[in-house]
Amino acid sequence: MSEYKPKIVALVCNWCTYTAADLAGTSRLSYPAEIRMIRLMCTGMIDQKYILKAFLDGADGVFIGGCHPGDCHYIDGNIKAEKRIGGTRNLLSQFGFEPDRLALQWIGASEGPEFQHNMTAFVERITALGPSQVADRMIL
Amino acid sequence: MSDQTKPRIGVYVCHCGMNIAPKVNVEDVAAHAGTLAHVVVARDYKFMCSNPGQDMIINDIKSLGLNRVVVASCSPRMHEKTFRNAVKSAGLNPYYFQMANVREQVSWVTHDSMDATEKAKALTAAAVSRVFFHQPLSTREVPVIKSMLVVGGGIAGMQSALTCANAGYQVYLVEREPSIGGHMAKFDKTFPTLDCAACIMTPKMVDVLQHPNITLHTYSEVEKVEGFIGNFQVTVKKKPRYVDMEKCTGCGTCMEKCPSKKISSEFNEGLSFRTAIFTPFPQAVPNVPVIDAVNCIVLGKNKKCGACAKFCETKAIDFEQKPEFLTLDVGAIIAATGFQAVNPTHLEPYGYGRFPEVYTSLEFERLNNATGPTSGKMVMKNGQIPERVAIVHCVGSRDVRHKKYCSRVCCMYSMKFAHLLREKTGAEVWEFYIDVRSPGKLYEEFYNRVQEEGVRFVRGRVAEITDMTDDPNDKGRLTVVAESTLTRRTVRLPVDMVILSVGLEPAPGAEDLGRLLGVSRDGDGWFTELHAKLAPVSTPMNGIFLAGCCQGPKDIPDTVAQAMGAAGEAIALLSRGMVTTQAEISHIDPDLCIGCKSCIGACAYSAIGFDEARRVAVVNEALCKGCGSCAATCPSSSASVDHFTDRQIMGELERLV
Amino acid sequence: MMMYPLNSPDQGIVQTVRSMLQELLGKKLADAVLVLASNPWSDVPMPTLFTDPDRMEGVDPLAPVAPVSSARQASALTRSPSGKTVVLVLRPCEIRALIELVKLNQCSLENAIIISMDCLGRMENKIFSDEAKTGPGITERFLSSPELQGKITTTCSTCNDFLPENADITLCTLGAEPGHMGFEALTDKGKALLESLGFKKGDDLPKRKQDIAALADKRSLSKKELFDATALQMSTIDGFQTFIGRCLNCYNCRTACPVCYCKECVFLTDVFAHPPELLLERATRRGAVKMPTDTSMFHLTRLSHIGHACVGCGQCSSVCPSDIQVADMFRTVSEKTQAFFNYTPGRDVTEPIPQLVVRNGKRGD
Repeated sequence: MSEYKPKIVALVCNWCTYTAADLAGTSRLSYPAEIRMIRLMCTGMIDQKYILKAFLDGADGVFIGGCHPGDCHYIDGNIKAEKRIGGTRNLLSQFGFEPDRLALQWIGASEGPEFQHNMTAFVERITALGPSQVADRMIL
Repeated sequence: MSDQTKPRIGVYVCHCGMNIAPKVNVEDVAAHAGTLAHVVVARDYKFMCSNPGQDMIINDIKSLGLNRVVVASCSPRMHEKTFRNAVKSAGLNPYYFQMANVREQVSWVTHDSMDATEKAKALTAAAVSRVFFHQPLSTREVPVIKSMLVVGGGIAGMQSALTCANAGYQVYLVEREPSIGGHMAKFDKTFPTLDCAACIMTPKMVDVLQHPNITLHTYSEVEKVEGFIGNFQVTVKKKPRYVDMEKCTGCGTCMEKCPSKKISSEFNEGLSFRTAIFTPFPQAVPNVPVIDAVNCIVLGKNKKCGACAKFCETKAIDFEQKPEFLTLDVGAIIAATGFQAVNPTHLEPYGYGRFPEVYTSLEFERLNNATGPTSGKMVMKNGQIPERVAIVHCVGSRDVRHKKYCSRVCCMYSMKFAHLLREKTGAEVWEFYIDVRSPGKLYEEFYNRVQEEGVRFVRGRVAEITDMTDDPNDKGRLTVVAESTLTRRTVRLPVDMVILSVGLEPAPGAEDLGRLLGVSRDGDGWFTELHAKLAPVSTPMNGIFLAGCCQGPKDIPDTVAQAMGAAGEAIALLSRGMVTTQAEISHIDPDLCIGCKSCIGACAYSAIGFDEARRVAVVNEALCKGCGSCAATCPSSSASVDHFTDRQIMGELERLV
Repeated sequence: MMMYPLNSPDQGIVQTVRSMLQELLGKKLADAVLVLASNPWSDVPMPTLFTDPDRMEGVDPLAPVAPVSSARQASALTRSPSGKTVVLVLRPCEIRALIELVKLNQCSLENAIIISMDCLGRMENKIFSDEAKTGPGITERFLSSPELQGKITTTCSTCNDFLPENADITLCTLGAEPGHMGFEALTDKGKALLESLGFKKGDDLPKRKQDIAALADKRSLSKKELFDATALQMSTIDGFQTFIGRCLNCYNCRTACPVCYCKECVFLTDVFAHPPELLLERATRRGAVKMPTDTSMFHLTRLSHIGHACVGCGQCSSVCPSDIQVADMFRTVSEKTQAFFNYTPGRDVTEPIPQLVVRNGKRGD
C-alpha cells in the first residue's frame, strides 16, 4: 500500500486558494506531489461536468478550494458552488464513490499553512480510501 | 493568425536559476513535452522571464511558426503578463499562451526530486492540452470618468483627496461622521517629533473644505457601488443633519441653548458631555452642527422643545429634513475607512470599566489634549495629579486569544505618553512591554530619549490589575501584577493610573463597504491589497485603491505616504484616460440559450440582460467580471467565460490524471 | 374538488370524452385543443392540435400509449403568449414535466386549461399497435381488462403518481362502474368550464377511494422492488457499466426526455468532439478504452443536470435502441437526488429549482 499514490485534482479559485498555494510555495511549505491543481477564476464557475470528468478519468479524489464565505472576490460565487457541489457529491455517492473523495474547503489568500495542511490531510484521506473503482477500468 | 491554422506549440521550461532546477529535472520535463502532440519545440532555459528568455520565445514564434506558447515556470500571478506581452510582441494574440506553475506548486513544495519532476511533467502537459483549445481574445478601450471618490475623511482620506484634487481632478470625499478629521483630530502631540497634531491637522481640514476640486459630503455613507474601473456609479446617502448647511453660520448658539446636555461625548471618548445638537469638536469641518435624533427632545422623544430653532437667527434648524441620495459618477475609488481602537472591556484582568483609573490610550489622548475634557491637564477623576502611572503595552494585540498581529503604533504612542507625563506631571512612569518596536525614522532615538528621561521599562506581559493592595498605605491605588521576564521576578507595583495601549482593528462597517466595493478582507478584517509588496495600495478590484489603516495598522507618516500612493495610482488611471476591458468575460451563445433567465438571477453584477425579441440572455460586456457564475448555472451550457471554456478546462483536466 | 358523474353506457367513455372536448371548441370555451388522436397514417395516436370540432373524430385521450411526451408540444404551444386559450390534455407525468418547463421560462400556463386523467399507464408503441389490431375499441377494452392493463411499461407499472396535480379537470375512471366515468373539477376554472358545458355536480364515484388505494399499494410495492434492485446495481461502477454497457451515444433518451430542455446538448458540441490524438492518448493511458467514449460521462452529466427534474415518464427507456432501461436508472437515482434537495418536480411552479442557485430569491425577471 505504501506504493499507492493517489491521483488528485484540485480545482481552486484564483483569488483565495490559488493565492494561498502560491504563498505556501513562497513559504516553502511542502505537501504531497499528488495534488494537481487547476486555476479557475472562482469556484462559482465549476461545472458539475468537471468533477464527473475528473472521477471518470480516474482521479481518486477531487479537492475544491475557494474563498471563505463573505470573502468571495465575486461576492458569492463560493456559496453557489457549495450548493452545486453538494448535489454532485450526492450523485456520485449513489454510484459507489465515497463522498469523502470530493472535498470542498475554504482557504483564504493568506492561509498558506492552512493550504499545506488541507492538501496533506486530503492526500492522507484519499490514500486511506485507496484507489477509486474507476482507476483501471477502460471506461470514460 | 487564423483560428483554423493547425496548432504549433512551443514549450519553455524555466530553471528559475536554482529555484526550479535542480529539484525539477527541467531537461526531462522539456523532453517529455517534446513528445506531446502538436508540440513543435520544447526547450529549457535558465531565466525565461529575462530578456534573452523572452527573445527565445519571440524568435521561435517567428522562425518556427509557433502559434501557441506554454511556459513552465513560476505562478501566473507573477509573470503571466510578462509572457503574454512577449507573445504579443511576436505578433501572436496574447491569449495563445498558458503557464504551468512548476515553482510555487512544484519545486518549492515537493521533497522528492522524482516526484517533483513527474508533477512538473503533468502540469506542463496539461498546459499544452489547454493551450491547444485557446482562442484569440481581444480587449476594448473605454474612456475613464475623470473624477474620483474617497471614502473616509481621516488623515488618509483627506490626504488622498488633496493630492488628487491638486492634480486637477474632481474629488468627492464621503465621511460618515459630522466632521472630517478622523482619529488624528483627537490627538494632541504626534510621535516622535512631538509636533502639535492640531497645528498640522486643522489647516489640512480647512484646505479640504475650501479646495475648489473637492466636494465634501460629511454625515454621509456609501450605499451602493455599480460599474467598473473608470466608470463607477456610486450612490451616497446623506443622513439628515436637521440643520441647513447653507443657512448655518456656525455661531454655536443652538448648542448653548439645547437643554439635552448630558450626552456622552464620542469625540472625548465618553470623558465629557455634549448636547443633542452638536459639533463633535470646536474645529469641526464643516462647522455645522448635527442633531442627534435619538437624544433630541423633539426628534427622539417627540416632545415640545425646539430651543435651538427658536434661538437660531438664520432659521437653519429643519426638523423635517429627510435622507438624501446622490449618485456620483467616478472613475476611481479610494477606500480610507481607517480603524477603531480595541475595546478592552472584555480583557477582564485589566479591569477596564471596573476601575475608574484604568484608561484606554484614546481616552488618555483626550485627557492630554488642550481641547479635551480636562483642558489638557493629566489628572485623575478626583482632580489630583497621579504620582505613578503604568502603561500596559499590547492590549489586545500580539495575543492569540485576541488579535495575533502587532498594531504597530502602540509602542511609540506609549512612549509619547510617558514623555508627556514626565514633562507635564513629573509622575513616575512604568512601561510594561513584550518587545519595544521602534522601527522608523527617529523612532529608536525617541525610545532612547524617554529611557534617559527616567521612564522605567519592565519586560513582561501584565497578568492583572487589581485594587487589592499589599500595603495599607496604598489603599485606593491600583496594583499592577506582572512577571518581569528579565529579572524573573513577579512585580507588584502600586500605581495611581493605568493606561492600556490598546491595539487597532478595522473600523466598524468595513465589512459592508468591502462587500459594496467587492474588495475582500483578510482574516483580521483588513482590506486585502493586490500584492503585499508590489501593489500595496491596489486591490484585486480594478480602479479601487486603499489608503491608511483600512489596509492594516500603520502610523501617521506611513498613512500619509500610502494615501499619496493611492492618490498616485488613481491619478495615473484618470490621466491615462482609457481603460482596457477584461478579455475573460462571459459570453452567451444565442443559438444555445433557451431563455430561462437562470443566469440573470445568478449574476452578482446585474451584468446580464434579456433580449425579449430573440428570447435570449445577453451579457453586458462592460459590467461582466468573468466570474463564471452564469456559466456554471446555465442549464443549457450556452454561457461560458472566454479563456475558461469547458473545452479548455476539461482539456487541462484530462492530462492531470 | 367536485365530481361530475356520468352514465354513458351507450356511447362509451371514449365518445363521452370526445364529445366533451368537441363541445369545448363548439361553444368557443377554448380556441384549440391539444390531445392524443388517431389518424389514418400512424398505427398509434399522436398528439394533435384541433381548432375545428368537426375534425375530432380520432380523439382518444385515454388510449394507453404515448409515442411522445405531450409536454414538449404543450410547451411549444405556450412558449410565448398567443392570446388564445388552449386546452391541453395531458397525462399526470406530462403535466409535471410542463411545470418544470414553466420554471425554466419555456412555457406559460396563463392561457391554458389542463385536462388530465386517472393514468392507468401506457404500453410501448409496438405492443399497443399489436393489441389494437386484435379488434375495435382498444381504449375501452384496456379500461375494462386487467389483462391488458398488465401490458403497460415497467415505468408505468411502478409509478404511484398516477393521479394528476395542477390540472383543472380530471377524467376519472377509477372507482366507476363499467361504462361509467366522471369529470372531476380540481380548480374553479375547471368547475366553471364543466358547468358551462351543462354537467351536474353529483356524488363521488362509488369505489373511487378503494380503487385508488389499491392501485397505489400495488404500484408502490412494485416500485420499491424495482428501485431497490436498480439502486443495488448502480452502487458500483461495474454495475453501472453493465447497465449502460450497450449505450451507443445516440442521445435518443435526451431527445425524448420532456425536461431535457437544451437546444443543443453539450455532448453534441465540440466540447466532446475529441481529436484523434486525444482518443489515442486515452487508450495509451489505460491500455484500452471502450468506444464510443464518454457514455458514462453522458449519463452522469444528464443525471446531474436534470436528475432533480425527472418526472418518471419513462420515454427514455421506450426510445432506447439498445434496450437500456434508462428510466429505471434515472428514476431510482433521481428519487434520491430529489430527496437530497427536498424537491418534488412538477408539484408547484413556484418551487425553486434547487441547482439553480439564485441570488435574492429571485430569478431575473
